[in-house]
Amino acid sequence: MAADLTGHEQAPGAAPTLAELRVLVAEFQPNRGHVMPALHKVQDTYGFISRDAVEVIARQLNTTPALVWGTVTYYDDFYEHPQAKTQVAWCSGPACRVLGGDRVREAMQQILELPLGGQSEDMRVGLRLGQCNGTCSESPQVWVDGRVVGNLTVASAIRLARELKSGVSAGTPGAGAQP
Amino acid sequence: MNARLEALLATSQSAWAAEQGSGRVRINVCLDTSSIAQGAEETIAALKGAIAAKNLNAEVGIIGTFGFCWLEPTVTVRNASGTQTVLYANITAGKVDDFLQRVVIEGVTAPELALGVVEGTSTADIALLTDHPFMQGQVRRVMANIGIIDPENIDHYIAKDGYAGFGKALDMSAEEIVKEMVDSGLGGRAGGGFPTGRKWDFLRNATTHPRYLVCNADEGDPGAWVNRVLMEGDPHIIIEGMLIAALAAEADEGYIYIRNEYPLCVRRMEIAVKQAYAKGLVGKDILGSGKDFELIVFRGAGSYVCGEETGLIASVDGYRGMPRIKPPFPAQAGLWNKPTNVNNVESYANAPMIMRNGPAWWSGVSTAKEKGTKMFTFSGSVNWASCVEVPFGPSIRECLDRYAGGMREGKKFKGFQPGGPLSGVVNGGLDLTLTLDPYREKSMFLGGGGIVFFDESNCIVDMCKYFLGFCEAESCGRCTTCHGGTQRAVEVLRRIESGGGREPDVETMQQLARTLVWSNCFHGQFAMTTIKTALKEFEKEWQEHIVDKYCRAGVCHGLIEYRVASQSADGMADAQAICPTSAITGGPGSYAVDDSLCIRCAACKELSPSGFEVRHRFALEVSEAAAAAG
Repeated sequence: MAADLTGHEQAPGAAPTLAELRVLVAEFQPNRGHVMPALHKVQDTYGFISRDAVEVIARQLNTTPALVWGTVTYYDDFYEHPQAKTQVAWCSGPACRVLGGDRVREAMQQILELPLGGQSEDMRVGLRLGQCNGTCSESPQVWVDGRVVGNLTVASAIRLARELKSGVSAGTPGAGAQP
Repeated sequence: MNARLEALLATSQSAWAAEQGSGRVRINVCLDTSSIAQGAEETIAALKGAIAAKNLNAEVGIIGTFGFCWLEPTVTVRNASGTQTVLYANITAGKVDDFLQRVVIEGVTAPELALGVVEGTSTADIALLTDHPFMQGQVRRVMANIGIIDPENIDHYIAKDGYAGFGKALDMSAEEIVKEMVDSGLGGRAGGGFPTGRKWDFLRNATTHPRYLVCNADEGDPGAWVNRVLMEGDPHIIIEGMLIAALAAEADEGYIYIRNEYPLCVRRMEIAVKQAYAKGLVGKDILGSGKDFELIVFRGAGSYVCGEETGLIASVDGYRGMPRIKPPFPAQAGLWNKPTNVNNVESYANAPMIMRNGPAWWSGVSTAKEKGTKMFTFSGSVNWASCVEVPFGPSIRECLDRYAGGMREGKKFKGFQPGGPLSGVVNGGLDLTLTLDPYREKSMFLGGGGIVFFDESNCIVDMCKYFLGFCEAESCGRCTTCHGGTQRAVEVLRRIESGGGREPDVETMQQLARTLVWSNCFHGQFAMTTIKTALKEFEKEWQEHIVDKYCRAGVCHGLIEYRVASQSADGMADAQAICPTSAITGGPGSYAVDDSLCIRCAACKELSPSGFEVRHRFALEVSEAAAAAG
């Protein structure tokens, strides 16, 4: 399990049991703004928010599953299903856009055969829309499991996508990676 | 001043002094989201490894960014005697051994890597950082500590006069604090410009408790990262600002709502809040004053409209983050329907120095109508992605040349977008200034600090499709005007882009613009601003798309096609191999592009620039005429 920058553990895993979920969200209280923190905790632990988790959170916070489910489906960063092992987030920001980012997306989608938000059938690779976080000196860029792979050309993005799809890496994606 | 605060100050100052006089070389690495993207974590690991392996007389710390976001990882080095600190650029892991050899083992500087002297005197080969061309015109006030202090160490902040503004406010009445804030002229830093002091006064005049403060750190405008720089570089300045607001408005609890895209901000703010609790600056009976204030860091989950204050409030409450109809305003009914004040990160961050130095000093920096300094970030088709703090007023031309390094090689300036997807686009406009009025006159707004430059290779219809697509995706769905209107606008733009533009389309979009202003929140009201301004500013380009079916930038998919320009050009085989849709058929001497497969990604043209060309499908005579006209 790799810790992300928040220090929370990220684990794509099997669906948790009801008992595990109850223990996990036991600290949260009704009417204290704890719906989002509880959802984050479940997702940070299990990688997605199961239907069981929605019911457990609703009971813990003395609200209804419908309201919790409404919250889950509203936000882009809550996932209702398990996510693939390697996540590629394509930066949709304007600096990337004016430097050819949309062509990068189109080409990568062709290779990966995934829509934004899609997961490969073997659950190895997923593709998402990422929002600009201001690392615009690396535009156009994608984030592979949170690591910037920047200064992409369409051709280098295609090579990256082919590596990801075949599972064979010609280089190490990450900081300072060059096209 | 509060006696316990004085004691904290003394402790922190001696801790700071001990560090300064450690007799060791101090190497501080900028560790923020931009520098991590460029390898700062690897630099830190390499520095620590080499220092331990060679047992060098040096230590490694972390700092925020000086704003040279395109030159990360940046590093400051304070010499062993503590007399001079120098800022260096681009210290990647591979450079560390050589760098340490010089700055630690030989005890000299590395002038060719240096940006300037941060502390101490300039030398023959390294000028003061304040003399660096990028720093000209900048006044670092909100950013004064960034790059100097460790953002994860409260002692550093306190040693630099931190919490002194709060100390002063502790000795003042709520009315006096509000008066200082109003006198300063501080306007909301998210772009609205509404007087912050007056907002605090609304909450002060509320009749019930508990009452809440919210720090809006949901910096959702793509292309803006000023709040991130602040949270990652000096988180305590925000906490101190909120504490002052809490005194002024007699607030009981505060929330710092941070977008989920900023995990390092979440971590830094969580650490800072924890440290503030430990020092008794937040919590029950703050510094023995009898005042209570609880502070909670709240993580968003990816929703642009949660940057709208009522959307944000719904999100903290645990609901879908949908903005609601105002009134009632948050000052009457906000979090849990209790009185609530929402301010931007940068608005709070200005309060400590207004308290410390007084409103006259604070507002004296700017000759513009808008008082004080403002942080901006620059990005796009430019050489540098950077962050600056300037008094309101410099021209876009100055910013482009001085702070963004000019246009990238081969890119010709076309226009810029201030503020984000709701704020519109400008054709040219190099003489416009960074103040609120020029944009208001164009029915746009300056926004929260992001300025994105675009160039002649960017198509205005495509940009509109991009921004409207964003607005459509981020619409909360409450108002039909907004969710239906943005959807309709995107449909029309897609049709124009694919060659189906019709002359009434312009009127359709004007009609949509007139309709969307009836949406309940800013998102719907301003979603059409990009199109509205683009229709006015780039009228000819629209006519070319709609009437002539001609995209001068060669972007719109349905109006262009890729063709083989030369069978004998270099890189043709590579181009055929890279094509993601196998659209390049044939072989040497017989290459051809199958237009039914081509997705116009241009990968082939990247690998064989002279082997392929973009042809205008429907408007060859127009494009040829345009080419002839130059």
